[in-house]
Amino acid sequence: MQQALVETNPELNIQQHRLAREDPLVWCVRAFTKLRTLWIAWIYPFSSFGSGVWVHFRCRIPRIAARYIQIGDRVILSRGVRIDACPNPGADSPVLILEKGVGVQRGCVISARNRIHVMQNVIMGPAAVVMDHANELEESANSAVNSKGGESGTIRIEEGCWIGSRARIVSVKGELVIGRNSVIGANCVVTQSIPPFSVVMGNPSSIVRHYDLSKGKWVLGSVRRGNAPGEQP
Amino acid sequence: MQTKAIPASKSGYDESLQEREGYLANLLTRLNTWWLSATYPFASKGRGVQFHYASEISRRVTPHISLGNQIKIARHAWLTCGTEGPFHLKITIEDNCRIGPCCTISSKNSIHLERGVVLAPDVLIQDHAHAYSDVNIPIMLQGPTPGGKIRIGEGCQIGRGAAILGGRGEIRIGRNCVVAPEAVVLSSFPPDSVISGNPARAVAHSNVTKDCLVRDSAGTT
Repeated sequence: MQQALVETNPELNIQQHRLAREDPLVWCVRAFTKLRTLWIAWIYPFSSFGSGVWVHFRCRIPRIAARYIQIGDRVILSRGVRIDACPNPGADSPVLILEKGVGVQRGCVISARNRIHVMQNVIMGPAAVVMDHANELEESANSAVNSKGGESGTIRIEEGCWIGSRARIVSVKGELVIGRNSVIGANCVVTQSIPPFSVVMGNPSSIVRHYDLSKGKWVLGSVRRGNAPGEQP
Repeated sequence: MQTKAIPASKSGYDESLQEREGYLANLLTRLNTWWLSATYPFASKGRGVQFHYASEISRRVTPHISLGNQIKIARHAWLTCGTEGPFHLKITIEDNCRIGPCCTISSKNSIHLERGVVLAPDVLIQDHAHAYSDVNIPIMLQGPTPGGKIRIGEGCQIGRGAAILGGRGEIRIGRNCVVAPEAVVLSSFPPDSVISGNPARAVAHSNVTKDCLVRDSAGTT
């Protein structure tokens, strides 16, 4: 009944539209977020820290990791995002690079030991996980920070990608490249490289659509998975 | 044959298994519930609705949201919908629904949860997606797709981390369905089925006349 009332009464709707202004309490949240961002930019020894960055006050970034992290302009880190960098001996600094305009949604985890490079304008859906290492099985009870060894690879996510909700990108060995403007579907587990302009879905993940540059259109169906250079399929 | 929908309180959802919170958190939740009830212009809102203090509902979208009685919205749950275009209800949640922690409900056209739907933590329900057809522009700047509609039947149980994603047309999950954890539902399913996998398919359905669960060997419906 209520539903019908709302849909057939335009006056009520206009009133409700007028009422629906921003809650003044939201400004508290924004103020906390701004303060956290300023605090982080001032106190934390980041490798570099861009302008126009928003770091939500519920973000978890350990201060010891900050020197290995590079954050570009206009990066947005939402609530509950966890960013960690704990370089292997011999890894080049910085270990974790977020380029200009990267948007990281709520609850994402980005954990780097070797190198994770997220290029411009990548969006990550809620609770996506990007890890370039695995825990050693014997030490799996410990956290990633405490485990000494473990294999690790490198990850590069190219421009304009969309990492879906709860997708997991894990590279244990070699280089994992996700080509530009690729789409990683929800709940996907990606452990191998993805060519540019492809749509990955399912578990085990497969490429369900890709853009054929020679034909200039999107092609359906699975294609052979691209492998990192120098790696046998 | 019609089956009776199980209310959330009598289904597998156990209130006592919920995370216990301290007095301060309970107080904050109560204050937040009062604040939202008093000042937010919901299209309709029943009695006994509880908003956790860390749940996120923007006031701008509340005219598009209709809530029934005895709904609980847990920590970090995020209800959002687009406000552009002609006015219509975009999120409808009926009586006795439970929205788990960290759930995301993002609507562009219409998302309807019928009575007694239980969402476990980390569930994503989204009836639109990012457009990706243009390869020269980053996906971030391409805007959303037109999207479809989603309707989840009475007494459904959505497992942890499941995603229900609308493409075009309406996705209907029948009453008393069980969606397994980490499933990705992209199509409609008949009532009383067990849905699992990524992409999801019906792995079993309950036979109402025999009162047992029958395993499906065939694929999706």
